[in-house]
Amino acid sequence: MEPDGQLKPSSLSTKDLPWQVLWSKEKCSLCGRCTAVCPVQAIEPGVHRKRVLQVPLGLTEKPGNIFGVYHGIRQRTDVAHACIGCGMCDMVCPNHAIMPIHNDEPDKLRFHINQGGIPRRRGGRRNARESLLDSIKFVRISMLTDPALDAGRHEFELRTLLGRILPPEEALRVTREGGWLPPVREIYPLILGSMSFGALSPTMWEGLQMGVAYLNEELGMPVRFATGEGGCPPRLLRSRFLKYIILQIASGYFGWDEIIHALPEMKEDPCAIEIKYGQGAKPGDGGLLMWYKVNKLIAAIRGVPTGVNLPSPPTHQTKYSIEEAVAKMIQSMSMAWGFRVPVYPKISATSTALAVLNNLTRNPYAAALSMDGEDGGTGAAYNISMDHMGHPIAGIVRDAYLNLVKIGKQNEIPIFAGGGVGKNGNLAANAAALIMLGASGVQAGKYIMQASAGCLGSEADRCNICNIGLCPKGITSQDPRLYRRLDPEKVAERLVEVVVSFDTELKKIVAPLGRSTSLPIGMSDALGISDRDAAERLGIRYVL
Amino acid sequence: MSQRQTIIIPGSEKGVRVDSRVLEERIQKALADGHRNIDIIAQGQHGLGGRLWRAGNEPVSIRILGTSGQRVGAMGFPNTVIDVVGPASDDVGWLNAGARITIRGNATNGVGNAMAQGKIYIAGDIGARGMTMTKHNPRFEPPELWVLGGVGDSFAEFMAGGVAVICGHGAQQMDNVLGYHPCVGMVGGKIFFRGPHQGFSGKDARLTIPDDDEWRWLTAHMVEYLDAIGRAILFSELMADRSVWQILAARKPHEKAGPSGRNIHRFHQEVWDRELGTGGMIGDLSVQERGCVPVIATGGLRRFVPLWENEKYLPPCQAHCPTGIPVQRRWELIRNGKMQEAVDLALAYTPFPATVCGYLCPNLCMQSCTRQKADLPSVDVALLGRASLQAVVPAPAPTTGWKIAIIGGGAAGLSVAWQLRMQGHEPVIHDVRKRLGGKITATIPRNRIPDDVLDHELTRLEAEIPHKTLKHALTEEEFGKLHEKFDAVVIAVGAQKARLIPFPGHERAVAALDFLRASKLDQATVGKSVVIIGAGNVGCDAASEAFRLGAESVTLIDIQAPSSSGVERKHAEAAGAKFLWPRFTKVITPTAVELKEGEVLPADTVIMAVGDQPDLGFLPKEIKTERGFIVVDESFRTSEPKVFAIGDAVRLGLLTEAIGAGRTAARAINDMLRGRAETYDQLPGIDPERVKLEYYDPRLPRFEDPLSCAAGCASCGACRDCGLCETLCPQNAISRKERERGAYEYVVDSDRCIGCGFCAGACPCGIWRLTENDPLE
Repeated sequence: MEPDGQLKPSSLSTKDLPWQVLWSKEKCSLCGRCTAVCPVQAIEPGVHRKRVLQVPLGLTEKPGNIFGVYHGIRQRTDVAHACIGCGMCDMVCPNHAIMPIHNDEPDKLRFHINQGGIPRRRGGRRNARESLLDSIKFVRISMLTDPALDAGRHEFELRTLLGRILPPEEALRVTREGGWLPPVREIYPLILGSMSFGALSPTMWEGLQMGVAYLNEELGMPVRFATGEGGCPPRLLRSRFLKYIILQIASGYFGWDEIIHALPEMKEDPCAIEIKYGQGAKPGDGGLLMWYKVNKLIAAIRGVPTGVNLPSPPTHQTKYSIEEAVAKMIQSMSMAWGFRVPVYPKISATSTALAVLNNLTRNPYAAALSMDGEDGGTGAAYNISMDHMGHPIAGIVRDAYLNLVKIGKQNEIPIFAGGGVGKNGNLAANAAALIMLGASGVQAGKYIMQASAGCLGSEADRCNICNIGLCPKGITSQDPRLYRRLDPEKVAERLVEVVVSFDTELKKIVAPLGRSTSLPIGMSDALGISDRDAAERLGIRYVL
Repeated sequence: MSQRQTIIIPGSEKGVRVDSRVLEERIQKALADGHRNIDIIAQGQHGLGGRLWRAGNEPVSIRILGTSGQRVGAMGFPNTVIDVVGPASDDVGWLNAGARITIRGNATNGVGNAMAQGKIYIAGDIGARGMTMTKHNPRFEPPELWVLGGVGDSFAEFMAGGVAVICGHGAQQMDNVLGYHPCVGMVGGKIFFRGPHQGFSGKDARLTIPDDDEWRWLTAHMVEYLDAIGRAILFSELMADRSVWQILAARKPHEKAGPSGRNIHRFHQEVWDRELGTGGMIGDLSVQERGCVPVIATGGLRRFVPLWENEKYLPPCQAHCPTGIPVQRRWELIRNGKMQEAVDLALAYTPFPATVCGYLCPNLCMQSCTRQKADLPSVDVALLGRASLQAVVPAPAPTTGWKIAIIGGGAAGLSVAWQLRMQGHEPVIHDVRKRLGGKITATIPRNRIPDDVLDHELTRLEAEIPHKTLKHALTEEEFGKLHEKFDAVVIAVGAQKARLIPFPGHERAVAALDFLRASKLDQATVGKSVVIIGAGNVGCDAASEAFRLGAESVTLIDIQAPSSSGVERKHAEAAGAKFLWPRFTKVITPTAVELKEGEVLPADTVIMAVGDQPDLGFLPKEIKTERGFIVVDESFRTSEPKVFAIGDAVRLGLLTEAIGAGRTAARAINDMLRGRAETYDQLPGIDPERVKLEYYDPRLPRFEDPLSCAAGCASCGACRDCGLCETLCPQNAISRKERERGAYEYVVDSDRCIGCGFCAGACPCGIWRLTENDPLE
C-alpha cells in the first residue's frame, strides 16, 4: 500500500504476488543472511509492533494493554520488488525459517508487471510444463529380433556427423577428380549451447568450456559447445580447444572483428560456424545485452566500449531472402577458413522452415540446418515472445526430415534440433525422440545450466531473472560478487557428470533397439505416442 | 556284463540319427543301470554328458566320439569327466556345475557360458563369447577354462568369476590371442594369457603380471591341464618365460567409480591453464581474482553497504516550516532535559514563538509530521510555542554600526529587524502605527490570540528595536531619503489596501480588513444579518467578530469551495456561520445581497473579504512590481540592490511565511553588508518511509505536554542515539564512536558487515541507508 494509506491500481498484497515468503518468527535467529542474499530485495528487515491485551480473570482489575516491538523479515509487495521464488533465502537460512511458496491461484502481479508502459522482459523459460517430447515412448524393443545390447557394459560409438555428406558416387567422383570435399565433423550428438559469453558469466562459460575440453581430451567424447553471439575470448581462439567450439555469428556481429584478428594465430579450426537467424526464446527478435552487463571484460571480448546497450537487430541487415542468406553468408564464413569448416544456419523453428531447408539442399556449402523450437532460449526476451512466439520443435524436425527423405537427401544434410530438450529433466529421452524423428543431434542450453550450475529456474516461473544480471547462482551475471559464487572447476566437473550420464541414458534407449554404432536417426518406427493426432502428425505409431 | 566295462551308446541306428531326447534317455538309463564308463558315438546330439547326477558321488567317465553337438556337458555334475575326442560345437560346458570337460580340438562359440564350477580344457582355439557370464560360487571352487591357442571376440563378456587361461600356443590369430574387445562388463575372476592382445575393456579389467602365488597356481594347474589334453610335452615351452604371461583381472566396484583419467582439478591446472596461460580463459582480460566467494560475503564483496546518514536530510517539520525553525532539534533538547535551551532556540528564528507557533500559525510543521503516515497524532508544536514565553533573549552580536530602514512593523518587518539586530546591526522600524505588530495586533481577533501573549512578545521586541512612528503614509520622496540615508531598506508594508469588487452597490460594503481593524478597537457595528462575500480565513475571522458584535446570522458566500481552514473556519462554524457556494453576487442593495441566480440574501451589513493589496504609493518606478506586488529574487532583493521586500508586499501568505522571508532577507542583507557571498544549501527532506513508527504508542489520542511530545517525536533523519543498530546488527559490525565535543558517530566494520540491512530496516529515525556497493569491474 502507499505511504499515505491510499490504494493505487497497482497496490498489491502478498497474496497477489506469485510467490509468498513464509517466515517463521519462532525459528528466525535474525542473522540477516536472507536479506543479504535476496537478489531482488523482495524481503527486508521489518519492525513489527505487537500488542497483548492484559485481562485479569474475573475482571477484578481494569484490563490493560502491553505493547512491544519485535524485528523480523517482511516481504515487499511493490511490483519492482516482488519475490521471484528463487529460494536463496531458504538456502542460506541456518534455521529453515524462511521459504517462498507459490501462490495457490494465478497471481495478480502479471497484470501489473508492465509499469511505465514497459512489458515484462525476462530470462528463463516458457513457464509451460507440458512437453510433447516427454510423451513420446520408445516402443520398439529388440526381443530376439536384433542383437540385444547392454547399455551399461557394451561399447557404443554414439556419434553424429556435422557437415555436408556427398552421395557416394559424388564423393568418389570428387575424390577422383581432386575437387572440393565438404568438411564433415564427427561429433557427439549433444551440442551444448548456444549460449553467449555475456549472457553467461565468465565463470559459467569457462566452466562449460573446461568441461567440454575434459570430455574431449580425457574421455574421448567429441562434445561441442556453440558460443552464441558475443564472440569468444582471444586466448580460447588461439588455443587448441577452439576445435571443440562452434562459433556463432549473429545479426549484431559482436566479437567478430576479434575473431578475424585471431585468424592468423589460430592453432586449430573451429568445429563449425553457426549463423544465427533466430532462436527459440524470442523468434524473430534480436538479442539485447543490457548496459549493466557490459563490463570491461564483455566489452573487450565483444569489441565494444563498456556500459552500452548491445542490441542485436532482429535480422541480419544485409540479408533480404533465403537465397541471399545462403549465398552470401555461408559463402563468406566458409571462405574465412578456406572452406575447411562446416557452416550452417540456425533458425527459429517456424512453419516456413521447409523453405529454408529446401534452399539449403541446393547449396553445396550448406553444412546443416539447426532449428530452435518454441521452448528454447535462456537469454533476455520479452515475455510475449518467450511465451507465445515460435513453433514446437518435434513437428518441424519431422517435417524437415521427411522432406529430405522425399528428395533422397536425408543422409546428406543433417538437421540439428533444440528448444526444450530436457525441459522437464528428460534430456536423453527428449534427445533420442528428436533423433528418431530425424535430427542428427540436439542442442541443449537450459538443461545444462540447471544441471551443471544449479540454475534455480523452473517452468513455474521461478527466478527467471537471467536478463538483469542478478543471477543468484552467478550463472548469468557479470558482477564478480555474484559470478564468483560459481567455481568453473565445479561447473566443469558437473558438466562431465551430466554428459557421461546422458551418454548412459542414451545408450539405455538405443541399446534395446539394437543400435550401438550408429545413431537411429529418423528411426521413427521405434517411436510411439498415446495421442492419435500427434501420432498421425508425426508419422509415428499410435500406442495404447 | 560288468558295469565297470565301457558301454557304447551309438548316436545312430540303422543309419538314422537318434533324436537328442532319445539319446539322453539311453544315457540316463545306462547310468541307472550302473554304468560309469560310457562311450557315445555322437551325431551332433545336444547337451551330451550333462546332468549325470544319478551316479551319486561315483565318478562317471564319458567319452564322446563322432560329432559332438551343442552344449556338451551342459549342467555337468562334479562327478563327471567328459572327454570329447575331437572338436566341439557351441556352448561347451554351458551352465557347467562341476564337470571336467576336455575338448581335443577347437571349440566354437560360447565355451563356458554361465559356467559356475568345473573345468573346461580346450586343446585348440575357441570361438566368440567364451567364458561369458561365468561365476564363482563361494561354496565351491571357481570354474576354470583352459585354452591352448587363442580365443574369439568378446571373450569374458560379463565374466563374474572363475579363471581362464589362454596359452597362446598355435593360435589361429597369433597377433591377438584374446580376440576383439574382451572383458566388457567383466566384474569378477581373472584371465591368465600368454601372447599379444589388441586391447580390452579398461574400465572393467586391469592388466597385471602374475605374482608368485599366481605363478605357482598356474604352474601346478598347467601340468594337470596338459596331461588332460595329452600335451605334457608343451609344459617347458609354455612355462619357460614367466614374463610373457599376463593377467587381466576384474576391477573391483570401487576401482570402477569415477571417470577415468585425471580429475578436473588436475585437468584445470595441467591442461587448461597450461594451454591458455595463467588465469585461464580470460586471464589476459580480467583483473578479478579467481576463486570462489561465499554467498554471504563481507567487505568489498558485499552487494550492499549501510551508510549512517545522520542529519543529512531535513525532518519534514523543519523542511515545511517557512520560518525554518528546527522543530525537531527542540524536541531533542527537551528529550535530553534541556527545556530552556529548547525554548530559547526559537528566538534565533522568530520573534514570535508564542504568538505565531503557539496560536496563529496553522503549524505546517505539524501538518507534515511523519507520524501522520501511521495515523498517529502529530507532535504538537503549539504546546512548545506557548511555552516560549519564558525564552531568554539571546545577546546580540557586537554592534556593526550598519543601519537598516524597515518600512512596516508587521510580522515580516519585525522578523527582519529582529534578525538584523541579533546580527549586530541597527534596524529602525518605520510605521505609521504606534503599536507594532501589523495585522497581528490590528486585525486578528482577540479570540485567536490572547493579549498578554502578544504584549509579552511585542515588549521583548520593542526593547531591542527602535521604532520611528511616521506621521503619515510614506511618500516617494521620503522613501528616497531613507534609501540614501540607510545602508539598506526593507519594504515590509504588508497588504493594507482592501480589495473591493465593484459590484453595483459595492460602496455599501465594508472591506473585511477595515472591519476587523475597527472591530479590534471595538469601534465596529453590525446589523442582525450579515453577509460576507469571500469565505476565506479573513472572512471567517470577520464572521466570528460579527457574531461577537451582535449579529444574529452570518452567511459567507464564495464563488468556489471556500479556501478557509483551521481555527478560523472552526471558530466561524462554531459561532453559527453559514457557508454557501458557488454563489455569484449581482448587486448589493441596502437590505440584501442579490445573487445572479436570483437568490436574495437579506443583509444589514455586507463585508467584502476578497483579499488585500499592498499600498505602494511611495515606491519609485525603478523598483519593479507585478500585478501590484513587488518583484524579488530568492533572497527577497528587489530590482534595486539595496532594497529588499518581504511579506504580503511581495505575495500574500501566512505569518510564518512573512517571518521566514524576514529571516532570509536579513541573512542576505547581513552578507551584503559584510561583503560575503555565502551559499545556504537547503538539505533535502527525508523520505518519511525511512522513519519507523512502530516504536510508538498507536493509541495515543493527543499530546498533553511538551515532554510527551519530545518522547513521541520520531526524530526523523537525526540519530537519537538509541543504540538499537549496534544491538541488532547480526554481525556485531556496528559500534558507537565518541567524537570531539560530545559528538558521536555509529560506524560499520566492513570486514564484519554482510550488508543485510537490518540497521536500515530497524532504525527508528531512518538514519541508516542500505545502498549498492561500488561496482566491481
